[in-house]
Amino acid sequence: MSIIASVSGLTRDYIQGTITVRALRGVDLSIQEGDFVALMGPSGSGKSTLLNLLGGLDEPSAGDVSIEGTSLTDMTEAQRSNLRRDRLGFIFQSYNLIPVLSAAENAEFVLLLQGVGPKERRERVFKTLADVGLAGMENRRPNELSGGQQQRVAVARAIAGKPALILADEPTANLDSETGNALLELMKKLNEKNGSTFVFATHDPKVMAVANRVIKLVDGKIISDERQ
Amino acid sequence: MWQLLILASRNLFRNARRTGLTMAAISVGLAMMIATINFQYGSYKELTTNAISQLAGHVVVQHPRWQDERESQYLVTDADTVATKLRATFPKAIVTQRVQVGGLLRSSSNSVGAGLAGYEPDQEAQISDLDDKLIDGEWLGSDDLRGIIIGTGMADSLDVKLNDKLVFMSQQKGEEMASRLFRVRGIFRTGSADLDGFVAVSHIDAARDLLGGKAVAHQVAVHLPDARTSEADARTAANALQRDDLFVGSWLDAIPEIYALIQVDRTSSDLMMAVIGFIVALGVLNTVLMSVLERTREFGTMMAVGMRRTSIAGLVLIEATVLGVFGSALGCVLGIGISYPLVNSGIDMSGYMGETMVTGGVAVSTLIMGAWDPNRMALYACLAVVFTILAAIPPAWRVTRMKPVDAMRHS
Ligand SMILES: Nc1ncnc2c1ncn2[C@@H]1O[C@H](COP(=O)(O)OP(=O)(O)OP(=O)(O)O)[C@@H](O)[C@H]1O
Ligand SMILES: [Mg+2]
Repeated sequence: MSIIASVSGLTRDYIQGTITVRALRGVDLSIQEGDFVALMGPSGSGKSTLLNLLGGLDEPSAGDVSIEGTSLTDMTEAQRSNLRRDRLGFIFQSYNLIPVLSAAENAEFVLLLQGVGPKERRERVFKTLADVGLAGMENRRPNELSGGQQQRVAVARAIAGKPALILADEPTANLDSETGNALLELMKKLNEKNGSTFVFATHDPKVMAVANRVIKLVDGKIISDERQ
Repeated sequence: MWQLLILASRNLFRNARRTGLTMAAISVGLAMMIATINFQYGSYKELTTNAISQLAGHVVVQHPRWQDERESQYLVTDADTVATKLRATFPKAIVTQRVQVGGLLRSSSNSVGAGLAGYEPDQEAQISDLDDKLIDGEWLGSDDLRGIIIGTGMADSLDVKLNDKLVFMSQQKGEEMASRLFRVRGIFRTGSADLDGFVAVSHIDAARDLLGGKAVAHQVAVHLPDARTSEADARTAANALQRDDLFVGSWLDAIPEIYALIQVDRTSSDLMMAVIGFIVALGVLNTVLMSVLERTREFGTMMAVGMRRTSIAGLVLIEATVLGVFGSALGCVLGIGISYPLVNSGIDMSGYMGETMVTGGVAVSTLIMGAWDPNRMALYACLAVVFTILAAIPPAWRVTRMKPVDAMRHS
């Protein structure tokens, strides 16, 4: 099993005026290929901060993040941008779809950025949307879809580009438990079928049941990291 | 690129009302400018055409001091020879000689100051429109040395009518008083009190007599079909004449005040249009900035999934370009629509100032006709697009400064 992402001595301080909030205090961690990690912890413990740093959306105050052996710290913003495009997938709590694009176009977005040809793009988008259970809804705009359906589009967008690592920040928090569970099932299935690697920040205890690894974060520190 | 364009136009449709209002601001602003441009162009054209025919020609030959001093003694003493040479040089041109004498016109009941213009009747009739302004009588015949044409104001002051006798008296420096008897052949009305009350026209030879010369003239004017080549034509004339003792120049040299008048007017209106353009651009900047701020989270997401910040800034600029191109196209249509009646019917101001007004010493019609000025219209249409894009640069620049995580946290 190869290491997809590794983090060492990761620290992130938020400076607000005279107050410094230390959101992460020297986190060490490595994510294996095929992992389905549940990142748990109370509100404010630093889960989102860690995910953002893993995804190169934010810069650490100290420490380093490497994706597939390459350190993000040494990269330019353009290189990080390319890395996100080619190697990472993101799923957010509030779906974050582009409202003027249809379900298919949202899923296609990353493929366009990757420069995938039109024919292959179409095929992959239709297949991915079918995989997430949205066959027949390709042409709907986000405002014509339910929350659960929108999050499925977001999942499709995250996986369409065949990323090495998918980072999901409380993707089920805005959904009712039934819809949330279905989505969780879907991601687990993708994990098992395609071997996609997930890091999943959540408060939802059900995720523990699905995950093969549970990391607990308190006050910016990992207090437990268990495989099951 | 193609996809960006689709995305951009969908974004514009997202807030159709705001897009519509911005586009309306651009197009109405541009339409106003286009109408102004065409209106001005028409009035400049009228002014130059009339100035050339009334005050000069496309090319003029004068005594070097006549231009500034306007004293009767500064004559071209062999004007006939000069005119003949010029006719040979410019076979298609109308070459005409002119003499001006200041003096007094006296009738049996009154006398008034007058400026007597000595013209070659046939040539002048082709150039000037004074002969069309006659309300009584006729234009001078080719050999009519006794006839005089005066304006209605003059006729009233002198209390004369057609065929009445008038005496014109003038005194040149250091010479005896010269006088000459005329008969009123025609009465004109231009609508301008200045012209109708002061100007009298006689045959050039009659005016020459008053000056005591034979083949003399104050000005030999060459009237050509095209005003745009006047400077080159003036050089041609100078080469043909080879006369260092005479002033040979184009209308730009002969009546620089008219050219200056147009330049000043154009500059001040350009300034006004720049102000309008600036206000519209500020409005565009404001709306683009608003639309960017509103979408900060969305842009954050786009960055998160791997879109470059510069591409997102590009998207903002493409949106502005689409806005600018359509706004400008609409503005052209609207501007042409407004200009159409200006060009074809004109604006009639005769109700306020009579049929003719005097601008810079030139009689121009108060029915002001616009004229199409395609070059400037195209220039301003392009400027409208350019300024819309320029106005989108600060908001687009903002996008490139955003960190994905901050952009996504934006609410
Ligand atoms: N942009 C910011 N500016 C200042 N402080 C921040 C910022 N983002 C996070 N923090 C602080 O950092 C700490 C960790 O925040 P983070 O969002 O990572 O927690 P979390 O575990 O994701 O919480 P939640 O479960 O509520 O999403 C908190 O104390 C939070 O207040
Ligand atoms: Mg969080």
